[in-house]
Amino acid sequence: MTADVSTIFLLDVARGRGIEAELRDAVEEAQLVDWQTQWQPALMSVLQELARRGVPIANWPQSWHWNWREKTAQVKGLLAYRGFSVVCAGLTQGLMSINLNKLARIPAQRGKPLVYVDYLEVAPWNRADLGQAVRYRGVGTALLVAAAVLSRDEGFHGRIGLHSLPQADDFYRDRCGMTDLGPDADYQTLRYFEMTPDQVTVFLEGESGHEV
Amino acid sequence: MKFERNEKWWLNKARQEGDSFVGAGLLARDPMPAAEAAAPAEDLRLAFGRFVRLMRRERGLSVEKLAERAALDLNELVSIEEDLDFRPEPRTVYQLANTFDVPQQRLMQLAGLSVSRDAGFSQEAVRFAARSESTQKLSREEKAALDAFLTVLSKGESKDKR
Repeated sequence: MTADVSTIFLLDVARGRGIEAELRDAVEEAQLVDWQTQWQPALMSVLQELARRGVPIANWPQSWHWNWREKTAQVKGLLAYRGFSVVCAGLTQGLMSINLNKLARIPAQRGKPLVYVDYLEVAPWNRADLGQAVRYRGVGTALLVAAAVLSRDEGFHGRIGLHSLPQADDFYRDRCGMTDLGPDADYQTLRYFEMTPDQVTVFLEGESGHEV
Repeated sequence: MKFERNEKWWLNKARQEGDSFVGAGLLARDPMPAAEAAAPAEDLRLAFGRFVRLMRRERGLSVEKLAERAALDLNELVSIEEDLDFRPEPRTVYQLANTFDVPQQRLMQLAGLSVSRDAGFSQEAVRFAARSESTQKLSREEKAALDAFLTVLSKGESKDKR
C-alpha cells in the first residue's frame, strides 16, 4: 500500500519562514529507521548534557525513556496500526498512531465513535522542553489536524480523543480548544481530552479560512 | 486522506502552537522512570553483556582471543554477550574482572550473581546499557559510555566496602 501524501507547511524557526513538508497517512519503515537512528541519539545527547550539568533526574523531561529495548519494540509495533507521519527535509519530524475502536466519553457525545490518538510524538529537535532551539514548529498540530480530518472522513464528525502527556495539557486545552475530562486512573493519571464536532470546526477552519 | 490548506493557514497554526510541547499516549511516555525503580535483573545482565563486549572491542580482541586470555569457555563468553537469560558462573566473572582490571564485587553485581545495596549503581548500569548499542566499531559515544561506567565501577567498590 502506498501512503497518501498531503503537502503541508511547517515554520522553520531559524529562518523565520515556512517550509514545505509531507503529511503521510502511514508510518513506514523509513520513519522507524529515523526514530531509531536520528531521534534516539538526539535524545541521548540531551541526557548526556543534563548529566554533565548535574541536573537532578527528577527535573529531566517527563517523557524521557530509559527502557530503549521496550520502547523500540513498541514503536516498531506501530507498523501494525494505522498511523500518520510528518516528513520534512528528508527526516521524520513527528509520528502518530490512531485507534478507530474507541467511543466518546464527553456527556453530549457519549458512546459515539471517535478517532483515538494512541500515540503522538515529535522529533527531539522540535521540542522546546528539552532546552534547545526548536527546528520546526507545527508538527504536533499537523498530526492533530490529520486525526480530526480522518475522523470526518470516517463519519465520526471530527470527534477525537487522547491522553495527554502532562506537559502538553495546556496545549490541548488552550491552543486546541479540547475539553479536559480530567485525570484517568486507568492511564497512569494522564488527563483525557476530547474534541467535539463543534470544537473541530473551529480547530480546522481557524482564522485564515481555507483554500482548496 | 486529502487535506489541503494554504501556507498561510499552516503557518498560522504553527505560530499558535508556539513552543508548546505536544505529545500523547502512554507509549510517548516511559510508564516507570528508571530513576524511581530498581533495575530488573535482565537489565543488569544486558548491561553486563554490553560491558564485556565493549571492553573486549576496546582492546581489539575477538571473542576467541578474549576466551583464550581469560581462560574461559568460548560458548560461555558468546552467551554472556548475546543471551539475556544466560547466568554466568562466578569463576567466569572473576576471570573477566581480573582480565579487564575492574572490581570483582561490582562485576558480580552486574552479572546478577550478587545484590548491590547501592540503588544508583543499577541506574548507572541501565544508563550504560542504553548508551551502548552494539555496532561494528566502537563509536565515540560508546567510548564515552564505557569510560563513564568504568568510573562508576571503581567508585562503587569503595562505597560497598564502607
